[in-house]
This record gives sequence, C-alpha cells and structure tokens, in this order.
Amino acid sequence: MLMISPRMASGTQEKQYTPSLLSFFIYNPKFGPREGEEEKKILFYHPIEVEKNEKIRNVGLCEAIVQFTRTFCPTKPAKSLHTQKNRQFFHEPEENFWMVMVVRNPMIEKPSKDGKPPTVEYQEEEILDSVYGAVLQQCYSMYKLFNGTFGRSFEAGGVELLIQKLEKFFYRYLQTLHLQSCDLLDVFGGISFFPLDKMTYLKIQSFVNRVEESLSLVKYTAFLYNDQLIWSGLEQDDMRILYKYLTTSLFPRHTEPELAGRDSPLRPEVAGNLLHYGRFLTGPANLKDPEAKFRFPRIFVNTEDSYEELHLIVYKAMSAAVCFMINASVELTREFCEQLDALVGPQLTLLASDICEQYNINRRISGPEKEPQFKFIYFNHMNLAEKSTIHMRKTASVSLTSVHPDLMKILGDINSDFARVDEDEEIIVKAMTDYWVVGKKSDQRELYVILNQKNANLIEVNEEVKRLCATQFNNIFFLD
Amino acid sequence: MAADVHNKGVTWDAPNGSLVPVDRLRSERSDSPTPGLVQGTEPGAGQEHAMFMHAQSFEDLAAESESNPDSDQAEDQSVLGESQEASEKEGEEEEQRGGAEPEEEQKDQPEENQKQHQKQKQEVQTGVRGKEEDVTSEAWRRHRKHVFVLSEAGKPIYTRYGTEEALSTTMGVMMALVSFVEAEKNIIRAIHADGCRVVFLHKSPLVLVGVSQSSQSDRELSRELQYVYYQIVSLLTLTQLNHIFQHKQNYDLRRLLAGSEHLTDSLLRLLDRDPGLLLNAVMSLPLSSSARDVVSTSLQAAKAKSLVFSILLAGNRLVTLVRKKDQYLHHMDLHLLFNLVGSSSSFREGEGWTPICLPKFNTAGFFHAHISYLEPKSDLCLILVSTDREDFFNLSDCKRRFLERLRKRSAYQALQEAVQTPTYPVSQVGIPELWHFVYKSKSSGLYTSPELPVPYQKEEEHERLIGLYRYLHSCLHHPTRPLRSVYRCGDTENLFAWVSTITTAAFNKQV
Repeated sequence: MLMISPRMASGTQEKQYTPSLLSFFIYNPKFGPREGEEEKKILFYHPIEVEKNEKIRNVGLCEAIVQFTRTFCPTKPAKSLHTQKNRQFFHEPEENFWMVMVVRNPMIEKPSKDGKPPTVEYQEEEILDSVYGAVLQQCYSMYKLFNGTFGRSFEAGGVELLIQKLEKFFYRYLQTLHLQSCDLLDVFGGISFFPLDKMTYLKIQSFVNRVEESLSLVKYTAFLYNDQLIWSGLEQDDMRILYKYLTTSLFPRHTEPELAGRDSPLRPEVAGNLLHYGRFLTGPANLKDPEAKFRFPRIFVNTEDSYEELHLIVYKAMSAAVCFMINASVELTREFCEQLDALVGPQLTLLASDICEQYNINRRISGPEKEPQFKFIYFNHMNLAEKSTIHMRKTASVSLTSVHPDLMKILGDINSDFARVDEDEEIIVKAMTDYWVVGKKSDQRELYVILNQKNANLIEVNEEVKRLCATQFNNIFFLD
Repeated sequence: MAADVHNKGVTWDAPNGSLVPVDRLRSERSDSPTPGLVQGTEPGAGQEHAMFMHAQSFEDLAAESESNPDSDQAEDQSVLGESQEASEKEGEEEEQRGGAEPEEEQKDQPEENQKQHQKQKQEVQTGVRGKEEDVTSEAWRRHRKHVFVLSEAGKPIYTRYGTEEALSTTMGVMMALVSFVEAEKNIIRAIHADGCRVVFLHKSPLVLVGVSQSSQSDRELSRELQYVYYQIVSLLTLTQLNHIFQHKQNYDLRRLLAGSEHLTDSLLRLLDRDPGLLLNAVMSLPLSSSARDVVSTSLQAAKAKSLVFSILLAGNRLVTLVRKKDQYLHHMDLHLLFNLVGSSSSFREGEGWTPICLPKFNTAGFFHAHISYLEPKSDLCLILVSTDREDFFNLSDCKRRFLERLRKRSAYQALQEAVQTPTYPVSQVGIPELWHFVYKSKSSGLYTSPELPVPYQKEEEHERLIGLYRYLHSCLHHPTRPLRSVYRCGDTENLFAWVSTITTAAFNKQV
C-alpha cells in the first residue's frame, strides 16, 4: 500500500513516501461497555487482518483521547491526534458512533551504509488537519447517501445489519480514497457550476418542469453539463455529496464508450433508433435486452428530517446528464424506463447540442482558450460554488494541479487561519520560492490566488488581485 | 547525587512522597528561588538554610559545608560544570557582547519598565497563585493556557492553575497516553479539538503538557514547554534529576521544587508577554556607545579566575554582557537568568548567592551566581556567574571593583540616566498609522520595540498582541514552508512581517 511519489530524489537514492491510509475503523463505545466485551464496540475495522487485541487497543486509545479532551473542552470533542508517525482523525457523525481514520505521515527513507536498515524521517508538518478531517466527513456523507444513517440501520436490523452494510460499503470505498492528492478542494467539497446565458438556462428549466410534469413519479431532478451542475432540486448538502459521487465515480466510469469511435466494439448499441443519444448510466444498459434488469441504486436524502429513500436514475445524452430521483417504495418497471427514454432522450439530445453551441459562442467572444493568466480557487459557502484554475480536471484517482504541492499547502494554511475567526480577512504571503499567495475572505466567500511575479511588491500584488476580481468576479463584492 | 540525598533519609519513602502536610508546605514557601534545595540536594547547602543566601549567612554556609561529609560529592559535581570549559579556557581574554550595535532609531528611549516591572514583581510576591481553584469548574477550564509537569510515573510536579493533588488523576491519564503511544514505538505530539489543543513534550525524566485555548501553533506551545523544562533543570541539573528518578521512580519531585513554583509561574507570564522569548533575542538598554564602552571595560576589568559570565541588567533590558573567550551564553539561559532575577525581590535586600544550572550551556552541573542590585532602589542588577561554589567573596569583590571603576570614570551617572529615560513611542519611527512593531537583528540577537500604545496596554490586549506576533513568527518560520513575508488585514489591525537575510520584523498597523 506504499505509494512512491515521482519526487524521488535521484542520485542519493532517497525514497519519498506520500501519506497513506494506515487504518480506518468505526466503533460505538455503548455496544461493549463491560470488560471483556470490547470487541463488540468495533463495527468496522480496516485492514481486516489486524489482530483482535490490537484492534481493541487502538479503539481503546481513541476512547481515552476523546475522554481526556473532555477535561478541557467538554463541548468540543477531539478531532485529531498528532504523533510522530501518523495522524488520527476522529469524527462522531451520530451520537456515540465514532469514525477514525489513521493516516501515516509522509516520510523519507534514507539508505544507510554498512548494511544497516535505512533511516526513516517522518515529515510531521505535511498533513493538514482541515483537509483530512474533511475527507473523513466525506466518507460518512458518502456512506449515508447510499445506506442511510447508522442509527436507522441499527434500528432496522440490529448490529448485524449495520456491520454488514459498513463492510459492504467501506471495503470498496476505502480503495478509492487517494490520500496523497487531497487538498483544499476537499475542505470545500464544493460544486462547480456551468456558466450559462439566461436563455439556455430557461430552456433547461422548462425541460425539467416538462419532464417532472409528464413523469409524476419523479420527485427531484438535477441537471449537469460537462460534469458541472446547472440545476438541482435537492437540498444543498445532499447535492454536494451526490455531485461528488457523480463526478468522481459514476461519470469517469462511463466516459470511455463516448470517446470510442463509431465502429468501436465499446460503443453501446444505440438501441435501434438513432433519433437520440440518450442512455441510462444507472439501471439497464440496453432497454431492448429482454434480460435487462430495472434496478437502480438507492440513495438517502434529507436524513435530518423527512428521511427519504430514493431510486437514482442517471440518464445521459452527449455531455448533458440528468438525475431523476423517485421514491424508493415505487417499483420501477420496463414500461416506465421506456417511457422515460422516449420522452427524455430526444429532448436531451437537442438540449445538449444547444448548450454546446451556446458555450462555443461564448468562448469565441471571450477569446481563445489559453492558460489562465491567474491561478485561483474560489469558493462560496452560501451556494457551495467552487471554481479552480489550479486544478486540471479532478478525477477520482488523480488530482492534477498546476502548482507545487507546497504552495497548495500554503493555501491550506491560510484557509485554516480563516476558519479560526469569523471575520473578513485578507492574507498576502510571499513564499521562499518568491511566489505570492493571496487569500481573501469576504462575506462567506473565499478566494485564493497564486501569482508568479517575483519582483512585484505588496502593493502591486494587491492591485493585481483587484484586477482579477474585477474581471472574473465583477458582480461579486469583495472587501477591500 | 541521589544516593547521598537518600542517605539523609529524609522523606523519600513517605507514602505520598511528603511527610509535611500539604497546606503547611505551601505556607512555608519562601521567596528564595530554590529553597527546595535545602532538603539536601546540594550537599554544601546544609539542611536548614536556603541555598540562596545573603552575605551575612555565607560564613555559616562555608563552615557547614566543611563539616559536611557529603561535600566531596558536591565537588564532583561542580567539576562536571568546569571540566567542559577547561579545554576552552586558555587565554582568558574576555569579549564583550550585547548592546554593541544598537539600532540607530533607538537613541532616545528608556524608562517605562520600571513601574511595570515592579508591578509584575508585586504580583509574584503577593503570589496569588490561584491554587485553590476547583479543577472541575468552568473557570478553571477557561484559562487560556494550562501547563502541567509530571514525572514518568505520572506523579504531578507542577500545574499552572489549581493544585497538583486535585489533578493527579488527570496527570495519570496524560502519562498513560504518552506511554501508550510510545509502546507502539511512536511519539505523541498533540491532540486538537475545535479551539483547543493539547501539546505533549516528553523530555525524560519529565513529561510536560500544555493546553491552549488560543490559536497558538503546536510548535510554539512545545517551545514554551521546553522553556519550562529548562527552568526546572536550571534548579536541579539534569544529572540530578535523572539520579533521583533512577533511584526512585515515583519520587514526588515537588518536595525538591517546593517554593520555586513562582519561577515557573513568572516564566509562563514572560512567555505570554515578552516578545524576546519568542524571538530568541533580548532588548538592550539604549546607551551612548562611549558610555557602554566604559561600562563594558569596567566589567571586563573586574575579573576573577572562575568568573565566566558578567551580566548587567536594567530591568528586563541588557546593558552589557561580558563572557570568557569561547564561552557562549545561549539566549535561553539568559532568559532563565532574567526570569530568576525578575521574579524574586530578595536580591534587592543584599548580595545573593545561588547555584544555577544553565541548561543550554551544560545540563550536568551548577554554576554559582552572585546576584545584586547596584543600589537597592535601582533597576540595575549585576549577575556574576562563577564555576566555583566557594567564590562568593571573590565575586563580591569583583562587584566592588566594578562599581568603583564605574564611578571613577563617571559612567554611573550616564547609566542611571539611561535607565530613567522612557522608551520611545512608536511615532518616533515616523510611519503614520503604525501602532506597534518588533524588530530583531539576527546578527546581534537583540530586538527593539516601542512602548505599548493605548490599545495594547490592558493585560488582555497586551497578551493578544504577543499572540499576533507569535502567529506571524510561526508563519514566517514554518519548518517546511517558511515564508518571506506575511501581510494580514483583519477587523482590528493590519499585520505585516518579513524576514530579510539579516532581520525579522513585525509590524502592526491601524486599519
């Protein structure tokens, strides 16, 4: 499970290891309160091979840490434990249910002479609490999206059902965590919105209304283009995690067929009629297949109040994708899916090419695509909108950034500073590499800019950022 | 060392580590920095008298030490301190340092501190240690910074707030956490919760724990714990500390440190208020170079064979420091000396003679410091550090010669005036809207800072200001992502800090 980073120093033969997941466990101290029953507290433990006593010991340490911290802050529970070799993150998403993630610090292995074992140097300052704390919270949100809350499962089927669900979900999910490429964007967990003119936006809205009208079973709808959100009927927090699932897991799995050539065997049967390009990303791959199953993934939303369980239908035509959510108590039939396909397919195909055309026009007006002049990250806490010109496309496995990891960490440091106080602030720092890094927090919005102007002074940098705000965010007010 | 202490069979085996009822112990604490040593850690000290003594009592000490069968051991120990120096001792030339190159802008300054200083001292004296607090109360929890010291057996040694007894369970848990993590061949560093962090520092045989409700970084907090660790070492030496705990793992160290808590208290207060400890620098007393030269040469001339460092202080500011060639005084040791002098008023009553370990110099042995004020009412304090335990009269003579010389060359007057001159207001720097700043010259290890303006004069605001500097310092000197400059614009003030190849500065400007 050791990942060797490309930053391997040549010549000296030092090996650099990026942060990696050491263990991940979930426990509830109420489930095994008596001595000798400690194992019962443990609901999930990764890696599974760990010896029972060690599991119990590690859970015991977490309980002790949490309890001890209460001595000083009874209302604010422990969030992380820093040690020389690793960091442990604690999260209590539901009362008495604790999730713990242990991440090994990045380290450098230096070979030593005389056949002695190599010396290992841990880099203790590299892991940002805010980033990995957010990753842990995301683990829970993702679990909850597909499984509902721990509490409900426990009520429905006791510890057995809960353990079963946890194992089924986390066994696979943990393999998709790529801890070495987590950064500030994980803290925000924002949504990228597709910029659109009013006319096209109205077209989309009327499309959504028409479909919801015709297919009365549809409870919520979300519309995305190019992996960016245009319209959603879900609550923000639910949409945020659904968006994460769509863009980092579902969509990447389905891009290949579209990119493949017309005659490629990968290209799916276009279902007999070539009137539209619509297809289901969840549920049946081919409607004409007599064996086709009409089962869709189930998701849980509004878990705080109405607690709804829904079918998730994701339907895509070219770059446009629509999520239809239908109450899970309804059984979805072949007839319904055919009806949906016939109704949505042609319209969505048309709409997708409309959006594409509009998008190209806009691009032509604003000039040819070039390397953005400014490298920035923007996040709005109110609508969760995020925008980054630092990240090339972010996928599940890799997040490609165009700046040095140390600069990303400075962004993270500034973000942590902002998080501590509730005031509007601005921070401008100059790194040792002579890059300028600017952070602005104003009225729930955060903007981070990296400037590569070695000889600029503070005033010039400030002017430059003002110019950026004027061009990119002309309708958004930033504190001066 | 521990062995002979044990021979005296005082109270080592008492079930709770102390025969004396706790309340009595507390009430008996004197102002002396190290009265705990009386218990027999420094054999030459005799058993009934404080180690720190005024001139009158010195003869008693000498007499007693001769008849003391343990004095051999004592000698062994001071040899430890000396032997290290021996090799470097040749050519007893002395160099001078400190205030040699005060910044231009410093010219008209000083005074101010006098009052503040005295107030501080008074606080210490009245010593409202707030000990009797309820450690389960909200008020106790809400203290901005807790510091705990415990032994590896989990026995309480020091707490900043509340009583050690009431906290013995908590400290037991702390030790359990430390050893649990160490059992996995790992080291515990910190626990973070929202708005609160607990930092651990294991410096065998002690464990130090800091709890901060502020946004202070782990590194800064850990550095402060180191200071506390060295403070304790300075009273006992590490060698002795190790001996004690090797001999009896669950020894109650409070027996030895009884009466010295106010030193740690005042050190922690300094850490909250004095930027010098943060910057690893000291402030110097502004003085014309000719006057300082006279003071320095006078101090140089007053030498003795075993004299290693001669330091002249004006309140919390350094006037001059003279050292043996090749002997360097670490800023941390210097701050510990400052703290010792600043937190005991007893030195005003006469010449003080106290053993002190300068841990950054050598953790194994004691130096012996002759501490006295030039005049009872003056802020000028002379510290003469010697390697010889029997050197009191020699050093006393050094002081006399120094004073004589100073008067003869009429530098004393200039010195007195400098001490009484108030420090400069920030407006003197000529930057409009500037509220406050700190400037450190890396080459000299000195820093300068104007007097506190109105918004920062309240204790709370003063500490908040230092907190801001701490934040800036911690950003600039991040171990893996250091910065060249930081600018932060917030609701109450604008902050700016930068490091050039030679300087560190932090500014504080009005919005």
